[in-house]
Amino acid sequence: MASKRVGIVVVLAVISQISAFPTPAGPDGELLNNQQAYKPKPTPPAEAESNSEDDDITFLKSLAEKSKESNNETPISDSVDERYGTDEADTTKNRRLADDYDSTKNGMDYKYQDDPESFRQLDGTPLTAHDIVQKIANKIYEEDDRGVFDRIVSKLLKLGLITDSQAETLEYEVAEALQDLITKNAKDNMIGDLSMDYPVNSVKDTQNNMDEEDRPSRRYDDEDEGDDDNGGDDDNGDEEREDEIRDDTVRAEDSWDAVSDGNDRNELNPEDGLQDLQFFPNFYRLLKSLDSEQDKEERETLITIMKTLIDFVKMMVKYGTITPEEGVSYLENLDAMIALQTKNKLGKSLVPLSITPPTGKALDDDDNTKTEAANMQKEYETLKDSTKDVQTAAEINYDLSKLRDFMDQQVDAYIDKGILEKDEGDVIKRIYGSL
Amino acid sequence: YCQICINGGISFEYHRYEEMRKALVSVWLQCPSITRIYTVGESYEGRELLVLEMSDNPGIHEPGEPEFKYIGNMHGNEAVGRELLIYLAQYLCNEYQEGNDTIIDLIHSTRIHIMPSMNPDGFEKAASQYIHVWNKLKFLKGIDLNRNFPDLDRIVYMNEKEGGSNNHLLKNMKKAVDENTKLAPETKAVIHWIMDIPFVLSANLHGGDVVANYPYDETRSGSTHEYSASPDDLVFKTLAKAYSSYNPVMSDPNRPACRKNDDDSSFKEGITNGGAWYSVPGGMQDFNYLSSNCFEITLELSCDKFPPEDALKQYWDQNRNSLVNYIEQVHRGVAGFVRDLQGNPISNTSISVEGIDHDITTAKDGDYWRLLGPGNYKVSASAPGYLTVVKKVAVSHSPATRLDFELESLEERKEEEKEELMDWWKMMSETLNF
Repeated sequence: MASKRVGIVVVLAVISQISAFPTPAGPDGELLNNQQAYKPKPTPPAEAESNSEDDDITFLKSLAEKSKESNNETPISDSVDERYGTDEADTTKNRRLADDYDSTKNGMDYKYQDDPESFRQLDGTPLTAHDIVQKIANKIYEEDDRGVFDRIVSKLLKLGLITDSQAETLEYEVAEALQDLITKNAKDNMIGDLSMDYPVNSVKDTQNNMDEEDRPSRRYDDEDEGDDDNGGDDDNGDEEREDEIRDDTVRAEDSWDAVSDGNDRNELNPEDGLQDLQFFPNFYRLLKSLDSEQDKEERETLITIMKTLIDFVKMMVKYGTITPEEGVSYLENLDAMIALQTKNKLGKSLVPLSITPPTGKALDDDDNTKTEAANMQKEYETLKDSTKDVQTAAEINYDLSKLRDFMDQQVDAYIDKGILEKDEGDVIKRIYGSL
Repeated sequence: YCQICINGGISFEYHRYEEMRKALVSVWLQCPSITRIYTVGESYEGRELLVLEMSDNPGIHEPGEPEFKYIGNMHGNEAVGRELLIYLAQYLCNEYQEGNDTIIDLIHSTRIHIMPSMNPDGFEKAASQYIHVWNKLKFLKGIDLNRNFPDLDRIVYMNEKEGGSNNHLLKNMKKAVDENTKLAPETKAVIHWIMDIPFVLSANLHGGDVVANYPYDETRSGSTHEYSASPDDLVFKTLAKAYSSYNPVMSDPNRPACRKNDDDSSFKEGITNGGAWYSVPGGMQDFNYLSSNCFEITLELSCDKFPPEDALKQYWDQNRNSLVNYIEQVHRGVAGFVRDLQGNPISNTSISVEGIDHDITTAKDGDYWRLLGPGNYKVSASAPGYLTVVKKVAVSHSPATRLDFELESLEERKEEEKEELMDWWKMMSETLNF
């Protein structure tokens, strides 16, 4: 990359020698060969050019002039010679520059404040290629005009002074520099690109910025202390996305404080859709335990599949295959199984289990686990005893296994077609298989 | 994004290829009974051209059920359409599960195909070079896919003068398409897609301006601006307005032009004829209309081709209702089946509407969908070897009017006539005693 940058620098240096920049329409786009480019052109500027074109040319020239000092100790010059060693014309370039160089000025004394377009480091050292890319990016940013770059590049291309791939590289690098600029400025000013109406008040905005950052962490702290205060969450509500893990925890805590603290689940607003997961407190805990990086995909898939299952049961209730009560008890049974499986696999419960039936009977989480286990046992007994429930469970299991087979099939087909990665497919199959 | 938030789950951010793939997989996992993911082919660099299909019976064309498609990001650096389509897929799945009757009905009665990106390679390139002030990224070596389609407009204009067809012009060109080295793999893949599925209505999402553009895109005279009406000019205007009227920005009569010197004089009520705006040869929109039964319009959805990520939610809000309402337009006009007297479907029957010089054809199950605005029409069904039948029909705004045809084959008619003749002869001979 560096070598290409250097190439650009040389090119810019070349431009500086051309006193009369031909108009794009001038020699009808034919490429001048390098030799021609260096003959001084006695002809006056052809047609009246737009002001912006003049600016660009001036800009280019000054860029090049300031960067190419006669001080050939800079690393740039050396590598330039290397880079363009094979190209005879470039040796010519170096010599021309030396000739052009105004001996009344030397590097250190050059008063850059006279020329608004001048570019020098503050300590007086010449610019590197990187600096030049930076300066172009700055100019584009300040003028908010991408046309600056387009015009320069198209001229360079037309004259055959750079190749397509060099232009592409230049574009890439300026683009990167511009992107950095924008990110940096966006951080500093907290301005969204949409709203030009915002007054640029960096002090105020930085404060806002800090508030935003404080809120999530405040919420996090709050929930550790068992405080239900939502802090400043209300405004952001459904849209809050910045901190996904914290979000999850907070929301879940909002709804499942019911489980652990004995609050009545009925306090939940049925409209906000969280009621679906009220049947899965153990599932939720399982999710929480899958918090490592490698579990991330498994976690996401798990959630999606659970949502699907809930939907599945809802549909069956809707179409009358099962009654709502049967649907509920199926889901609760499922959650209890998850608790059991988790306990078996991990050798311990994630958290003292608490299965609160929908009637609102609540058990204090801190109570001893024996009671919980007894309750769970009771639930299983109830299910076993009722033949009706067993039948329904069988129906559900039948439909579920059909769904499972179908998904297995689809997953295989998708892996074949490149829609799913093999490991993604395996996770999905495994989760469906264990349900 | 919020994982436990069941009521939403749309993250309004840019999706690179892997993220897009995962987002679609996620929708499928959430709604497996009404979705299916498939690929139409591979891009030049080997990325899948992914489609998420939504219907009550994914993977199957149900006879009589119209097929619809959205295609986004045909220009890699026009990013908004791609994202909106990913959000749309998620939205439709969510709404279906939430019990939204409109969406449920739509998914049960339509087969919706969503291709968020026709040019995933171009997007990757644009995304990595993305600069929000840089809305005119130049692809020094790229192919503009929207100039890459076989130019059927030229042929049609010639046929208009010299006589000849203006529909299904690809019939004899299929082999030529496959062997054409100038066509990008993405173009070829989409052409095959169009040929394989009997799409009825479609839209192609772009960026760089804000308007709903309809055929013809190429001007007749070859000039740069000229209103170039297709035979279905009225229907297209209705379709385009069906989109623009729900987008407050697109339909805002006082909206300033995207760039100071833009000529948007052809924009009226948020819609424009393609040729009147500027001539586009080889575009996908017209290709649809002239090679198949599909009516396609082009949606320009943002002044900024690749806006900053935090603008994406706003674009979704502006377009969500339009996107849904436009799909609903597929249920308009007349639709039905063409069968023979034994009840067997007759495919490839021409359905003509008097006064509109553009026929459509029946699909494999004999089913057809002819989009029309409200009014009274004479519709005829004609198939080789069969007697043409003409019927009068009154079409309301929506839904489509059911209109079936039973065609008698010429053979059958000949047999009938023979029988009639025999009967007559018999009667004559009995009467005259010979």
